[in-house]
Parts: sequence; C-alpha cells; structure tokens
Amino acid sequence: MAEPIEDFVKLFGARFSLDRTLVVRKGDSFFLLSRNLKNLVERVGDWLFAGLYLGKIKGGIFLPSFSLLFMIAGHAKNRVVVDDKAAWLFICGRDIFKEGLVEVYGSKNRGAYTLVFNRRGECLGFGKIVKDLGKAKSGVVIKNVLDIGDFLRRERTQISES
Amino acid sequence: MFGKEFFVNRYRVLGWEFRDVTPRQAIRVNSMNVKGFDLLERLSSLGVRLEEIPFARGGYWVVRSEFSVGATVEYLLGYYSIQEAAAQIPATLFADLKGKTVLDACAAPGGKTVQLADLMGNTGVIVALDINKQRLKALQNHLERCHVKNAVVYRLDARKVSKLRLKFDRILLDVPCSGNFAMDKLWFERRTLADVKRNAKLQREMLAEAAKILKVDGEIVYATCSLEPEENELNIDWAVRNLGLRTVEIECYGEEAPTEVFGKRLDNSVGNCRRIWPSEKTQGFFVCKLKKRGG
Repeated sequence: MAEPIEDFVKLFGARFSLDRTLVVRKGDSFFLLSRNLKNLVERVGDWLFAGLYLGKIKGGIFLPSFSLLFMIAGHAKNRVVVDDKAAWLFICGRDIFKEGLVEVYGSKNRGAYTLVFNRRGECLGFGKIVKDLGKAKSGVVIKNVLDIGDFLRRERTQISES
Repeated sequence: MFGKEFFVNRYRVLGWEFRDVTPRQAIRVNSMNVKGFDLLERLSSLGVRLEEIPFARGGYWVVRSEFSVGATVEYLLGYYSIQEAAAQIPATLFADLKGKTVLDACAAPGGKTVQLADLMGNTGVIVALDINKQRLKALQNHLERCHVKNAVVYRLDARKVSKLRLKFDRILLDVPCSGNFAMDKLWFERRTLADVKRNAKLQREMLAEAAKILKVDGEIVYATCSLEPEENELNIDWAVRNLGLRTVEIECYGEEAPTEVFGKRLDNSVGNCRRIWPSEKTQGFFVCKLKKRGG
C-alpha cells in the first residue's frame, strides 16, 4: 500500500518510513490517518479526504502532497538552500539558477531530485537537477517540479471554474 | 418585501441604525504550525501592519499591507488563515475540544475546520461536510495547506448526517444563510424576505438533524452571517421550543439578542445568543450555543 510513497521518498535519499497500517489508499490517493480516524473511516462510508493527504498516482507517476514533502524535509539527504530572490521565483513556479543556490547537500548529479529550502529552513517544494551542481557555472540548474505556490494556482483554477 | 428601505427599517425596529461599512480584513494564526510571535515579526518585516483582535485569540486585523496577505510564503506554509473577525468567534465557544468527535456540518471552504483542528491540537476527529463540489476542493486544499491531521471530509447534506450513524460531542452549525450587506455590496438588490424565509427553513432542518446526532452532554454552536431574525433569534426560539435544546450563556463579542422580535415574544433564553451588527471591526453575525435539555 505505501510502496509508491516509500519509492518517492528514496529519490531524496531519505531514511523515512510510515506506519503502513495507517496508510490508506482511496482511489488514486493516499492518506495517513490517526488510529481514531482509521477506525472511523473503516466504519463510515464514502469519504473524500482524511487525515494527512500524502499524494496520488496520476498516469502511473506518484505526485506527492506538500504534507509528505514536509514530513520528509527533516530526513532528506538531497536538499538545496536558495536565496530570497530564488525562493520567491521558485514559489512562483520558476526554475532555480545556479546563482540562487546558497548551499547544496547530498547528490549534485544531473537527473537527481532535491528538496528546495529557503534560508529559514522551510521546504518550498522540490525540483530535478538538470545540470551537475558541482560543475555548472550559471543558468538553470534545478527544474521546478512542485512548489507551494501551487496552492494559489489551485485557488485561481477553482475560482475560474466556479 | 425587498429593497434597502424595507430591510433598513427592520434593523431600526431591532435597535440598530443603518450605516454602510466595510469590515477590515483579518487573519488568524494557526498555532499548530507556528508561534504567533514569530509570525507577527515575519509579517511585520514584510511591511504588514496588524492589530490584535481583542475578542478573538490569535486573530489580527490587517491594518496595512502593500500586497495580498493571501500570497505570502507564510500563508502558503499554513502559518495563518484569512478569516473575518466575527467568523473567528464560533469555534472558540466550545468547551474542551481536545480528543472530541466534532461535526463541522457546513465546512467549506474550511476556515473554521482549520480553526477547530488548531483548537483541538489535531487530536480527536473532525467530520467535515459540504455538498458543493467546488467548495469541497477548496476545503481539501485548505486542510492540506494548514497540515490538518484529524479531519475526514464527506460530500453530504447536513440534513442527512444521521446516515453516518455517528454521535457527536460538538457540532458546529455555521449554516448557509442570506449573508449581509457589509460583505456583499449588492446585498439589498439581491435579497428578498422570501429568500430569507427559504434559508430559515433550511437552517431549521439542519438544527433538527443536529439535535438528533448530538450526544446527551454535547454542544451545538449555531452561527450565521445574516442580520435577519428569521435566520437567527426566531430559529433558536423554534429550536428551544421544539427540539429539546436549551441555549447556554456565552461570553463573547456582540450584544444580547432581542427576545421580542417584530411584536413576537420569544423564549427568554434567546437572550443568551449574541447579535453582532456590522462595523469596521466585523461583518454582521449571529452566534448561539445550545445543549440538550437535561444534558
């Protein structure tokens, strides 16, 4: 049940495990429940959302939630810290330039995934390294995959749909 | 029976002289995610000027901000919610929420659900309902953004909650209502007394269902952002007379609700409810706490 999540977590070199007995799959979505909630949803019908949303499978790919990213934030080896300007641009959906990197931990290799933090140590999302961080001198080095600005983009979509 | 003059006359009879107001925007700190002091310092460094709301713990009016407070990193990280000042009151009226089974009967878009989770310290269970698909999406996003761990969401009409076969310690009935002119500048053009009465009927059905699923020693908090007595005092009077409920004294912002409305004498205990007239501080609001008689 929790395999897609555990596979995703491994991408960041994180040593992290969930209590599998409390992970529930509902359709394509995964949730981490408390015991109380688990007892309730097992008894009571067709719920939409429960506990901490962990992510969903779409087109065979696991798309994590921010709750999951925040959970693994303290455990991930692959992480970069970016300056204030790069942090702002990142949550606006933009990629990260070499010049915006302040610190790099874990893998620097092209193709690896890394969590993105601001200077305060807050996880803003994650990206894919597109140029070797040890060698690149400038330009886009991390492609934005998911950032917390997504909440705003969702709100806007909902407003335009309603 | 409609139009500004008609409604403004009613407010006058109830003891309030109409004046057009726009309440200030407000935020509420999600203490489960951040220390209030840290957040205030951060927002202050961004140039956001806040003023503490004296009647809502963790609540602040936004006095000045050069950008939308709904687009900061702090907001996106779930450190605060944007929640109008009066709307911050109902969830705080419950006694002892930790570990309880709580129903948020008309939950979307989730401001009060998140506040309940915060007050519960993410313990116990919140059953959050709504029927509108779009609003349910907003609710789920809100829960995710604010890291709520103890809520379960159902698409269900609040008048059919007994289908879930659950009994609740606490029920928040923040019912769909006619709203008020302070939050909707076209309110007087849009609303008629017939609308108000239609909403009042729906609200009574929700109250009746809530009374069925409330535990013997449970509590209901009933709230509307309507100024119309049909949706407020008259509904509570009806609930007290017909549903085996009683009102409970509350200490909160607002004035004692009238016990005589348009010539009709109401149960004296309706005076325990609080009516909030619109001002720069809040929108119009009504709130009341109910328990089972004998409970």
